[in-house]
Amino acid sequence: MLLEARGLRKVYEGRGVVTHALDGVDLDVQEGEFAALAGPSGSGKTTLLNMLGALYVPDAGRVALDGQAYADLDAGQLADLRLHKLGFVFQAYNLIPVFSARENVEFVMELQGVETQVRRARAQPVLSEVGLERLGEKRPLELSGGQQQRVAVARAIVSRPRLVLADEPTANLDSKTAGRLLDLMGRLNAEHGVTFLFSTHDPLVMEAARRIVRLQDGCVVADEVTAPTAEPGTPEGA
Amino acid sequence: MLLRFAWRNLWRNPRRTAIVVVAVSVGIAGSLLSMGVNYGMVDQMVVTAIRTELGHIQVHAAGWEDEPTLQKTLPGGAATVVAALERDPRVRAWTRRVRGDGLVNSPRASAGVRVIGVEGEREGDVSLLREALVAGNWLGAAPRRALLGESLAERLQVELGDKIAVSVQDASGDLTGGGFRVGGLFHTPSSELDRSTLLLGLGEAQVLFALGDAVSEVVVVVHDPDEVEALRTSLAKELGPQVEVRSWAQLEPLLVYMVQSFDMMAWYLYAAVFTAMAFGIANVLLMAVHERTREIGMLRAIGMSRRRVVAMVVLESMWVTGVGLAVGMAVALGATWLLRDGIDLSAFAQGLAAYGVPPRLSPVLRARDFGMPLVIAGVAAGLASLWPALHAARERPAEALRHV
Repeated sequence: MLLEARGLRKVYEGRGVVTHALDGVDLDVQEGEFAALAGPSGSGKTTLLNMLGALYVPDAGRVALDGQAYADLDAGQLADLRLHKLGFVFQAYNLIPVFSARENVEFVMELQGVETQVRRARAQPVLSEVGLERLGEKRPLELSGGQQQRVAVARAIVSRPRLVLADEPTANLDSKTAGRLLDLMGRLNAEHGVTFLFSTHDPLVMEAARRIVRLQDGCVVADEVTAPTAEPGTPEGA
Repeated sequence: MLLRFAWRNLWRNPRRTAIVVVAVSVGIAGSLLSMGVNYGMVDQMVVTAIRTELGHIQVHAAGWEDEPTLQKTLPGGAATVVAALERDPRVRAWTRRVRGDGLVNSPRASAGVRVIGVEGEREGDVSLLREALVAGNWLGAAPRRALLGESLAERLQVELGDKIAVSVQDASGDLTGGGFRVGGLFHTPSSELDRSTLLLGLGEAQVLFALGDAVSEVVVVVHDPDEVEALRTSLAKELGPQVEVRSWAQLEPLLVYMVQSFDMMAWYLYAAVFTAMAFGIANVLLMAVHERTREIGMLRAIGMSRRRVVAMVVLESMWVTGVGLAVGMAVALGATWLLRDGIDLSAFAQGLAAYGVPPRLSPVLRARDFGMPLVIAGVAAGLASLWPALHAARERPAEALRHV
């Protein structure tokens, strides 16, 4: 088991209104999955994704990655866990504007203390993989939205995390660009065994996902496998 | 990595960074130049004091410090002292003097004076008295000649060649005196010296004060001013308790106090300037951090530790302060170079002369003068950045990512 979540609860209180964002969610994610958390706005997708990414602490319940419970880790150890085991792709790309595409991709490795030569050697093929080998020295503002999101994907996978969490990764992209990005992530999943978990309400993402976990009012209402989990090296769609 | 990141962060908003850099630069350049003028003035006072009378070191008979009387002399022409000085390679020059008090009378006025007997040949190597001669001839050109400061000559209403009578109490306590002609007039940077000093040849002064071959003091100048204390110590050890060997700093502690006061003033000045700047830097960094809330959330989300976020913001503060310091110091150095021929303060010449300061004042900046603002600026920049840095580090990544 790669990721295990049990009994997750989260309540938001504000201005006299109590909202149960998550109300006893159980979720398991296996290695190599290409899964989506789906549901309408306010269903708890992003809250759940943030909790699985060690960005939120649940009011109740537990999350464990590779058997390591988040509750047993302090803030510094959680930062280390996010740095070494998780990759993040955000809806708004969230690249560092003062760095080039290549530097953005290398940044996580810099935080990990990887030497310059090794960083360069790893970043270049990943940039090629996402189709940006010629745009490595461009800064984010010189790239289109789709290109920026591909840099974000490259940044998320370059240090070979155990799990990539992608929050509405196609929300700011047109359908054509979104389709290409999903193809890219599908290929990374199929060929390299990168595990992806999306939060989305984009039909394109749900169509591409091999498993869809549906949330409503903070509860899992459906969990369906639409295609078998890919074995690394399997061509996409096989 | 963080250095590069912090540096680039500065230039996200070049205008804002430029304003901080200019503020730091103007502050540091102004402070340094102001302190340079102060140091230049103190340096001139020290140089004037050393070159007019003090020398670097003076040797007197034991007890002179407590009671500087005519009877406290170095016998035998201070031969033992002279021999020690001749052997020491650190000594650049030395001269002997006789020093006493007297009354000088002209046909029209009289004045109390310090009568100083100097060695005509050697005095010029030790002090600026010889080069301060503005009329007449130096001692030794003719017998029974006296040299007067210009203002003393004015008080006495005498000119070159006029007769003056000098009355003194000699070493035996008898009242005595002698007649001299005004052989020359001098004008030094010290108005006090010019107003109250009469110079005689050493031999004539010894006769006047009935000292035989004894002298009041031996004045020494060294090649390297940094060796003064070492030479003073070794001379004191070699010459023993029969003599007092004192450096200029011991002879004129007020000058040392002034140097120390200016150093203290510099601390206060820099502290005030950088405290004001620190608030400006903190304000700018808070704005910058607030603008980057979402990005900081992303950095925390992808695994950047709080410690590194703090370091990044502190480094941004250090960078902007460092650039400001570099520019400010370069401006201060450039201005000091441009003013190397001195600032014309002739309008205040009379007042400055009372303190031994010449009417053209050159700012002085030494390498060590840059250390103090560096230290204070570093501390100020660090403290200024702590608040915004901790603010940034406290951001919760998930909330920060939602920041608009």
